[in-house]
Amino acid sequence: MSLFTVSPLTVKQWHRFRSIKRGYWSAVLLGGCIVLSLGAELLVNSRALVVFHQGEWFFPTYGAFLPGRTFGLDYDHETNYRELKAVLAARGEGGWVLLPPVAYDALENDLREGDYPPYPPSFASGHYLGTDSTGRDVLARLVYGFRTAMGFAFVLLICSYAIGIAVGAAMGFWGGAFDLLFQRLIEIWNLVPFLFVIMIVASVVVPDFWTLMALMVAFGWTQMTWYMRTSTYKEKAREYVLAARALGASSARMIGGHILPNAISVIVTFIPFSIASGVTALTALDYLGFGLPPPTPSWGEMLAQGTNHLESPWIVTSVVAAMVAVLLMVAYIGEAIREAFDPKKFTYYE
Amino acid sequence: MKRVHRSLSRSALLQALRSPCRATALALTGVLVAGCGGEPEPEAPAAASPAISRLPLNDMPPIAVAEGDGLPDSLPADLVWETNNEDPVFASPDAKRGGTFRAWMLSFPLTLRTVGPDSNGTFAGYLRYNRLGLVTFHPNTRRPIPALATHWAFGDDGRTIYYKLNPKARWSDGVPVTADDFVFSVQFHRSKEIVAPWYNNYYTERIRDLKRYDDHTIGIQVAAPKPLVEMHYEYGLLPQPRHFHKLGENWVRDYNWRIEPNTGPYIIDKVEKGKYIEMRRKTDWWANDLKYFQHRFNPDKVRVRVIRDMNIAFQHFLKGELDAFGLVIPSYWHEKATGEPFDNGYIAKYWFYNELPVPSAGMFLNSAEPLLRDPKIRHGLAHAMNFDRVIDTVLRGDYARLPTFSLGFGDYDNREIKPRPFDLEKADEYFRAAGFATRGADGVRVAEDGLRLSFRVTYGDGHHTPRLVVLQEEAKKAGVELELQLLDRSNAFKQMQEKKHQIGWMTWGSSGLSPRYWEFFHSVNANKTQTNNIVNYADPAMDELIMAYRASAEAGERVALARRLEQMVHDSGVVIPTFQVPYTREGAWRWLQLPPWLGTRTSGSLFNSQAVSAGIFSSGGLFWIDEDEKERILQAKDDGVALEPLTVINTDFRNPLSADG
Repeated sequence: MSLFTVSPLTVKQWHRFRSIKRGYWSAVLLGGCIVLSLGAELLVNSRALVVFHQGEWFFPTYGAFLPGRTFGLDYDHETNYRELKAVLAARGEGGWVLLPPVAYDALENDLREGDYPPYPPSFASGHYLGTDSTGRDVLARLVYGFRTAMGFAFVLLICSYAIGIAVGAAMGFWGGAFDLLFQRLIEIWNLVPFLFVIMIVASVVVPDFWTLMALMVAFGWTQMTWYMRTSTYKEKAREYVLAARALGASSARMIGGHILPNAISVIVTFIPFSIASGVTALTALDYLGFGLPPPTPSWGEMLAQGTNHLESPWIVTSVVAAMVAVLLMVAYIGEAIREAFDPKKFTYYE
Repeated sequence: MKRVHRSLSRSALLQALRSPCRATALALTGVLVAGCGGEPEPEAPAAASPAISRLPLNDMPPIAVAEGDGLPDSLPADLVWETNNEDPVFASPDAKRGGTFRAWMLSFPLTLRTVGPDSNGTFAGYLRYNRLGLVTFHPNTRRPIPALATHWAFGDDGRTIYYKLNPKARWSDGVPVTADDFVFSVQFHRSKEIVAPWYNNYYTERIRDLKRYDDHTIGIQVAAPKPLVEMHYEYGLLPQPRHFHKLGENWVRDYNWRIEPNTGPYIIDKVEKGKYIEMRRKTDWWANDLKYFQHRFNPDKVRVRVIRDMNIAFQHFLKGELDAFGLVIPSYWHEKATGEPFDNGYIAKYWFYNELPVPSAGMFLNSAEPLLRDPKIRHGLAHAMNFDRVIDTVLRGDYARLPTFSLGFGDYDNREIKPRPFDLEKADEYFRAAGFATRGADGVRVAEDGLRLSFRVTYGDGHHTPRLVVLQEEAKKAGVELELQLLDRSNAFKQMQEKKHQIGWMTWGSSGLSPRYWEFFHSVNANKTQTNNIVNYADPAMDELIMAYRASAEAGERVALARRLEQMVHDSGVVIPTFQVPYTREGAWRWLQLPPWLGTRTSGSLFNSQAVSAGIFSSGGLFWIDEDEKERILQAKDDGVALEPLTVINTDFRNPLSADG
């Protein structure tokens, strides 16, 4: 059987998952958020969605920047569409601007004369969750920070699972000296203080998304090996593997085609928790200042700002609430998946 | 050259907060005021005053004197001895002795030595500035005043000074301070055993000879003539207690935690490793009755605790466990330092403008970088930086724009120079002329060969990120991309010392009586690692002027040269000066009392217990603790009784150049 055929068991597991309402709706909601965040530029952006100016249509969201002169303003830098909206309305030539629901992006500083950021939430200014200490919109930074964090967690998951599963399966399958060697190697590797390594690296170079990813993968792949090793050992001794071997299947085929699909439930139940730990790890690193370089929008950076500006509670409240919500949803999903894959309910060899 | 680096402009602020003594900032930087020595001269006539029993001479080699150097064997007869007891006193006669002043530091020192490995930590300020030099400077008139020396005279070669020591001067263990301690100081600082190459070099290259004429008379010969007044500072020396040090190959280890006798008002009393260091006021301090030291250094004890986080230290301060706290950082002054203890008048807030040499905070453009080689791009960049926006918003209007690289040296300041303003048209003009006329799809200018107008800004202080992100966003308007590279502080400095940066965002500490240019702009320091010419500037015209400035001993000529040099620095555009903080701001529990004039022209901090501040001016120790008042305020606090709140803004010494906005 292949990994991707929808077997009756998978259907059963899916039904079981759906029947756990809390987990199911969390999955729908979180999935929705992720999909929406992929198109965040259309929802939260300082660039307008549509500009109609002197009979011409403009769609500035994606693509090259449009200097102010395009619309008859007196500057060469990127148009301020919020201003443009007011200007066009005042000109009364029939031009108009359609702004996204949140008309700020995550990097721009909206600063006012005579008042000092952080500014509190306000519908009038369009900062629905207020601004941070340099006048950047909290909601915009939350949304883009969410996208970064989730993206990071997913890529991290795929990379570290790929390595972890491959090594773990090989250890379990071949056993013997290979297994022993890798066990020791992993034990030693696990003793390297991961946080210190990140701190040292971050003090010498500015870690970007991929440097951080490489570091996290380098230290994060080991966890999965133990589980994979155990279940491979277990599965390897089963008759169907012996049968495959007797038929002359190659090692790769036995692992990929037979053992892995049966070990999948172990892997799947870990996924949500790995996502959660990816998000928290990135947030923690950013919080400590060893994460992504400024001005990348990030939850950890907002958390740090929030705790430094407790007198402006909207920063810390927003980010803590968002964090709690996401981690709670992930935990519910994880719980539901674990239930759905519980072998006590569905055993393959019934 | 005294290497005074302060790796980050925050550190000026941080230091001010770190303990109520901003002088500490300079301690970190390796500013040195060091002692001198003459030869131990076994054959020298022992013309000592009989009152002092001479200690056996040490077995150090005599001071080696290079060819062409050397002081006369006997004291020249025609010397004109000067002193200064006419300047006004600046301490309050109402000051009361007593109490414990509680300060803090971020980490525990790795040693109590004042030289050698690890001796440049935060606590070094307490050690260094509790020692008196031969002379110090009046904090208001900026003229030399007696300290260990009562009189001084200048030789006619322009590079010798003679000092008469105060016979009353004593080490903290009661041993008299004599000419031999100065002789020993040169031997000590030249010796390899102290593992301090900077001092080895300074005491060999700069201090060329030192002679003992009698127990209380010494002569010092230095490398190059300087204006007479500056000689005291440029070649300042401190004695070393000859009876205390036994130099050997284990000196660094053996003396790591030993408490060296000193000449200042405080001496270390208790050391609880990792926790605190307590210093005790010497009751019979030899300088108690000297005119400029009377009524100063009033607390009986100064206890410096280790608190490893500034926010936590501030909480300790709010609880009354620390007496004073620096509030220079805008968020502290405006936001954190508000609420009950302030509104109820238990803690006072002081905003005190001073006139100290302003740290040279700037964006240092590495002119060896291909893009930054072109002055047009450097000028364009300066016009693309919206510092006013930063000041008006994230800095809350508290800081001022720094117009020039050097500032705060009185006559030396070039007040003609106006900083380049944020001006998109001018920036556009410059960038166009440099070949960056068009913009790419992301709004960043590109040259015809596709090169983007993008620069990496290296900095070492997370607190400055808000400032930089505002500049970054504003610079986009001019079509400039700034990429922010936040490194660990020492790595940021290292990168600049290795000249691997593009734009270095940093601050050089500033001290002394006149600005310096050689180390920052002379071509001998360009394009090589470990020098302070981090802009890699090399221009023969500049070199010539710098050498003329260095060689000149005539004050008027030096002033003119300094102003021309400053103009050249401005014209070159290699430095974009950023901000200045021409004041100190502090919070203090109300039992800390100050004179009616609060501080002096050169007070870096109002609550500084050290004898010398900023490495030169003697402005510390003016405050005192009123124990009765303390009881009253603590009682009021317990009872929840509100007193009259107190916020003082003093602009007596506000420099017109520093005016905000």
